[in-house]
Amino acid sequence: MNVEQSAALNISAEEKKRLGKGERRIWKKNLFLPILDNNPIALQILGICSALAVTTNLKTSFVMSIAVIVVLCCSNVLISLIRSQIPSAIRIIVQMAVISSLVVVTDQVLKAYLFDISKQLSVFVGLIITNCIIMGRAEGYAMQNSPLRSFFDGLGNGIGYGIVLLMVGFVRELFGAGKLFGFQVLPLVSEGGWYQPNGLMLLSPSAFFLIGILIWILRVVKPDQNEAE
Amino acid sequence: MKKLRDFLDSKVEPLFHKGGKYQRFYPLYEMVDTIAFTPATVTKGLCHVRDGLDQKRMMIAVVIALVFPLAVGLYNIGLQANLATAEAGLLLSGWRIDVLAGMGIEFAKNTVLANFLYGLLYFIPIFLVTVAAGGLCEVIIAFMRRHEVTEGFLVTSFLIPMIMPPTVPLWQVALATVFGVVIGKEIFGGVGFNFLNPALTARAFIFFAYPAEMSGDAIWVAADGITKATPLGIAALNGVHGAGGLIEQGYTLQNAFVGFIPGSIGEVSTLACLLGAFMLIALGLGSWRVMFSVFIGMLLMASAFNGLQSFSDNLMYEMSPLWHFVLGGYAFGLVYMATDPVSSAMTEVGKYIYGILIGILVVLIRVVNPAYPEGMMLAILFMNVLAPVIDHYVMESNIKKRMRGYGRKRIS
Amino acid sequence: MAGKESPRRILVTAFVLSIACSLFVSIAAVALAEAQDVNKLFDKQRNIATVSGLSEGVAMTVESLREIFTQIVPRAVDLDSGEILSDFDFENYDERSASRDPELSMKLSRSQDIASIKRREHVSLIYEVLGDAGDIQAVILPIRGYGLWSTLHGFLALEGDGKTILGITFFEHGETAGLGGEVDNPKWKSLWKGKSAYDDQGNIAISVIKGAAAPGANAIDGISGATLTARGVDNMIKFWLGELGFAKYIEKNFRS
Repeated sequence: MNVEQSAALNISAEEKKRLGKGERRIWKKNLFLPILDNNPIALQILGICSALAVTTNLKTSFVMSIAVIVVLCCSNVLISLIRSQIPSAIRIIVQMAVISSLVVVTDQVLKAYLFDISKQLSVFVGLIITNCIIMGRAEGYAMQNSPLRSFFDGLGNGIGYGIVLLMVGFVRELFGAGKLFGFQVLPLVSEGGWYQPNGLMLLSPSAFFLIGILIWILRVVKPDQNEAE
Repeated sequence: MKKLRDFLDSKVEPLFHKGGKYQRFYPLYEMVDTIAFTPATVTKGLCHVRDGLDQKRMMIAVVIALVFPLAVGLYNIGLQANLATAEAGLLLSGWRIDVLAGMGIEFAKNTVLANFLYGLLYFIPIFLVTVAAGGLCEVIIAFMRRHEVTEGFLVTSFLIPMIMPPTVPLWQVALATVFGVVIGKEIFGGVGFNFLNPALTARAFIFFAYPAEMSGDAIWVAADGITKATPLGIAALNGVHGAGGLIEQGYTLQNAFVGFIPGSIGEVSTLACLLGAFMLIALGLGSWRVMFSVFIGMLLMASAFNGLQSFSDNLMYEMSPLWHFVLGGYAFGLVYMATDPVSSAMTEVGKYIYGILIGILVVLIRVVNPAYPEGMMLAILFMNVLAPVIDHYVMESNIKKRMRGYGRKRIS
Repeated sequence: MAGKESPRRILVTAFVLSIACSLFVSIAAVALAEAQDVNKLFDKQRNIATVSGLSEGVAMTVESLREIFTQIVPRAVDLDSGEILSDFDFENYDERSASRDPELSMKLSRSQDIASIKRREHVSLIYEVLGDAGDIQAVILPIRGYGLWSTLHGFLALEGDGKTILGITFFEHGETAGLGGEVDNPKWKSLWKGKSAYDDQGNIAISVIKGAAAPGANAIDGISGATLTARGVDNMIKFWLGELGFAKYIEKNFRS
């Protein structure tokens, strides 16, 4: 037994508590930072593709967010667990294999229990594999950090992604169809009401505009997110 | 005049300057002040004079050039309403007719003045809504950014109502204007930084947002209960020469050239647009290079489709370049939109490329795309996006050419 | 011992990982297969039940559909002869792939292919709604054709006389929401009910016209702003009710 190991075994209870506190602080940071300050969509501009495709209504946005959060947490934890075993020569392939297995299973679960929504999401659940957020977190965080920290990192980034999806989905469904979660909120002209739905909101480019406006607002509120000129 | 200037300078202006009472409202003051007077501020430091022309004067000249197509367009609104109601055996009614009657003008007589005024009564509400909505956006953003209200919106506020169908709902105009000004221009930093034409952005918004109305048949003639497709819509379905086609439905090249066809308010008359083009070119405000090459591009592409028409059952293949020239927003877009100095290509060679590609694209969209019979708006917007890329490569190749030239000299 | 980066270690890791991942995925796929098949069947049956009108006022659950489907029997029709094929292997027949298979389908010439579907399968699966006495009360025919942007897939239901339209539905299409997508609108679909598909001589009588149809006329209003989708629906109806579609089957089974 060398000196380092013995020192590690002899840490006092107080020290343990202090370490625990530090650890919790890291979890908290991992969880909350990606939601507003380091949002994967709004700041890192990752995962845009699915954000355009699935946000025509809140239901699909919600299910997609959940799917991404689950995949992201699981892949982060799994990759962190086996990180010391992964030879660096094949680490990207290993990450891909883990992530794609998770995604395929998620897709299967949706097909089995949420058939209608999985039909609407079509290929975009499968395309989570190529969502840069997941690969990015696996390579950028889980490969260097403990499973628990990676879990919170995955959760935080997943929620950050989900919040943007839900915001875009909210605007698109409300103004594009006058509905929220499938319930008619604004009565449509074609059904005797007063609201004329905005067809642009149902087309993918509207998500671009909305995400752009979101980034604009975010950077007005938090000027430090502006890129250096 | 001098007294007014002195009064403004000594009494009013300080109120708006830094430390003054109304410091925050300086943008508003500046806006009003410079309509009458040339700004007293001069550029400090190193500068590069390209032209002695003030932006506001230039914009006003463009607006004057817009009066030609507008005048014909307004007359045409009344004319189309008259023709269509006579054909259907209906009588026009509504507040516009009441206003005309109040002025002692009987609309049914089909006089030039009555038709013009009837069109004017359609134009004015749309124009006012555009000015109000767009102006509000400009002022709010000027306050937010603490800069002056720029003149750019003056032309835009004329362009937007002119490319709308006469019976467009006013709230849609307001929404489209806000979108055009904010997304098309302000989000990129305001006048001079916008790579899209704000008026076309507004038009694209309304086209995609409310397609059932914007691409339907109910909006092009300003009379209730009348549905009439635009000539391009007819051609897309039934072609030019065949059964139910343009010629059978009574459209002639002459009518379309002068502008007596259903369509958006200001873009029906190719003749008037050409007059505007001459004025813009004579004053050096519009680029003849762009206009010329948009024409050449259209000519090439339309002729190519004409040559291929036996290979396809798409009826649009048979539309000749002349028809392409006189229908839809082609002429208007060519003269007033493609030449927008901010959003078009800047380099001389770039202008040719930009223009020819617009001409090619407009025909391509009209002929091949089944859903959008009108292609000018999309063609110009698309090329607006590409213009900076074109300029970049033109400049790169210029730099390379010169480097090679100097390199040789040095060696020899 | 070999280091983490040695070729042997890399191979072992890759091998173990592939085994683990494939096990994980296959177990999930096998375990969930049943639930997925139920869903797929449910989805198809729901469309059929809707167009047949049998599900009106019934909450759609797996059970209620099973109840409804005691009345509905699938039939395989040879489109070239109009005969119903007896002892047909329904389990292993998929119309989608059959319509792409050169052996199971025919290529349509340009003049034949008014619905722009390129190939038509030889055997089509239809559904007959049987009454208590075993008489045919309605027949549900699969239809498809090109609209503006996409191929529309749907069902057309005819009443027991083989003439009167009971309903139409589209379960898959990629038309513009709010324009061509209005083929999904219940209001528009309800226009079809009660119209005659054929006249007394057996000629196709129904059409989708541009604009509003005159009251009482045997025609369907066009969809405002979606002339080309409406035209696509018109073409597809004409194709599937015509000689290359179900005309022979209807002739043999309903008009004799």
